[in-house]
Amino acid sequence: MNIRNLRRREAISLLGGAAAIGVSGNAFAQAELPKPAQIVVNHSGGSMGTAMRKAFFAGFEKKYGIRVVETSPADFGKLRAMVDSGNVEWDVTEIGGQDAIRATKMGLVEKIDDKIVDRSKYPENVRTPFVFASSVYTTIIGYRTDVFKGGTQPKSWADWWDVKKFPGARSMRNHPVDNLEFALIADGVPMDKLYSVDFDRAFKKLDQIKPHVNVWWTTGQQPAQLLLDKEVVLATGWNGRFYDIIKKGAPVEIEWNQGALKQGSFVIPKGAKNVYWANKMLAEMSVPQQQAIYATELGYPGLNLESLNFVDAKVKPYLPTQYIDKQFWIDDSWWAENGNKALELWNAWMLKKA
Amino acid sequence: MSSSGWAKAWPALPALVLLFAFFLYPLLRMLSFSVETGNLDWYAKALGEGLYLQVFWNTFQIALIVTGVCLLLGYPLGFLIATTTPGWATLGFIFVLLPLWTSVLVRTYAWMVLLGRNGVFNRLLLDAGIVSDPLPLLHNFTGVLIGMVHVLLPYMVLPVYGAVRRVDPAIVAAAAGLGASNVRIFWRIYLPLTLNGIFAGSVIVFVLSLGFFITPALLGGGRVMMIAVLIEQEVRQTLNWPFAAALSAVLLAFTFAVYALAQRFTRVEAQP
Repeated sequence: MNIRNLRRREAISLLGGAAAIGVSGNAFAQAELPKPAQIVVNHSGGSMGTAMRKAFFAGFEKKYGIRVVETSPADFGKLRAMVDSGNVEWDVTEIGGQDAIRATKMGLVEKIDDKIVDRSKYPENVRTPFVFASSVYTTIIGYRTDVFKGGTQPKSWADWWDVKKFPGARSMRNHPVDNLEFALIADGVPMDKLYSVDFDRAFKKLDQIKPHVNVWWTTGQQPAQLLLDKEVVLATGWNGRFYDIIKKGAPVEIEWNQGALKQGSFVIPKGAKNVYWANKMLAEMSVPQQQAIYATELGYPGLNLESLNFVDAKVKPYLPTQYIDKQFWIDDSWWAENGNKALELWNAWMLKKA
Repeated sequence: MSSSGWAKAWPALPALVLLFAFFLYPLLRMLSFSVETGNLDWYAKALGEGLYLQVFWNTFQIALIVTGVCLLLGYPLGFLIATTTPGWATLGFIFVLLPLWTSVLVRTYAWMVLLGRNGVFNRLLLDAGIVSDPLPLLHNFTGVLIGMVHVLLPYMVLPVYGAVRRVDPAIVAAAAGLGASNVRIFWRIYLPLTLNGIFAGSVIVFVLSLGFFITPALLGGGRVMMIAVLIEQEVRQTLNWPFAAALSAVLLAFTFAVYALAQRFTRVEAQP
């Protein structure tokens, strides 16, 4: 595998060299593309932007002399509006997993150039033609260690639902994604039999937990903050947000069992101004050493499986890839099909008096 | 309009052109999404399904309550600022206007710090022994109300201030000279003459309330659902723009109706 890596690197330096001395000929035709002054990468913003700059953008700017302009947040509606109007401001944009599938179907994204972006070290199932899988994250349980001492925290969704054995205010996301799955698991459905989701069964189970959820969170930062302020003692949330406050010494820990795994995704909008350089950016984002920097910053490991070799041993326990066997993958294609229906049912359920 | 009317109107032309190009046209274009299919199915859904009717009703109630509270707090404040010494008035303006220039998101997060179970208010109350359990001020309707009133209060204070300032002091002096009590002066002079300010403030606050979504989402703990939240979901998540447009059209029509009703009401009332 080192050999392949080497080859790829050679290829990159060759291309770079070709560009520098202006060699012509078919093999290096792509390297001749003129350089724009800047490319625009759109992402979720916040600490993610800081980590992306450190891991990917700084190196890209240095290597190619092209400025990377960042915008945020990821916005599916805006992506569609840009492509529809023909005024595409983004060269690369982050996008939610199920949205990526819908965007592909709607023809809103460019195909990824596998000659530029090497995904040979990626798991087979995430090497899709139009979507670049950037990282893995998971929705899991964060808990206060001063309330649940010495491993007494809920260790499954059945435990989460068991408010007698595990009392205390809870917080869950104000969205059907993850929660429908969690409810089914709590109700005894095996993790590999969740789809297609049985709405009736899931919402019936959710009815039971509703009175014990103090806060239905909207933004990704809320669960970590709610635990910090002791507004709740248990919260579902994205592992990186908990990792961030744990790093800073908060009395919070993560229970990884039965977490909902998802991939972070990036796409090149259809009609982007610099498709070639957008691919180059994705290539930069697939380099294992750079992914390791990103994972260390945020707790979101990259999908280049070699990147784990470059991560510090202290960080590894906080990466969801260490616990893949105990967790399940969210089925993005099911959600792409049924997400709208689920959201409508969810809103109606939230409105229902408990 | 007469020719002299047109002559008077032409300086407004650039503004009207801008208004048309960047507000009216996009608005109409957006609304046209809702009838793209050639029928009124999306309106039937917006007005026919329990979920959306319930959320419209919630939104209306919340806007009404927020407007009421803003009026109760804002009228005395605006009145005070308008009638006090210039020094105090300046101080009052600073307190009213500074929050107006701060991002709504920042203020919303600030309220989360203040109102939480372990927030500043509850700490104070607990330490002082006034309550034994933290008050539920956040992640419910109370939190939403506090947050929205805080954001919208200046929009009530300023019109009231303007209206009170316009009251001719000679009338007040005459009433006092004829022996009217302060209470009587307020009810017979200030209140009728400042109804326009009350009307303007109330309409602005009410209309702005209808469109709130970040404050209810964050301070309401997910329990307080307003129509803007659903519209935002339809625009950004489900990408069902025709339906989002239909919901927006209903909201817009409703807002116009309230405006027209309120205007009629105050016109009648304002007659001496």
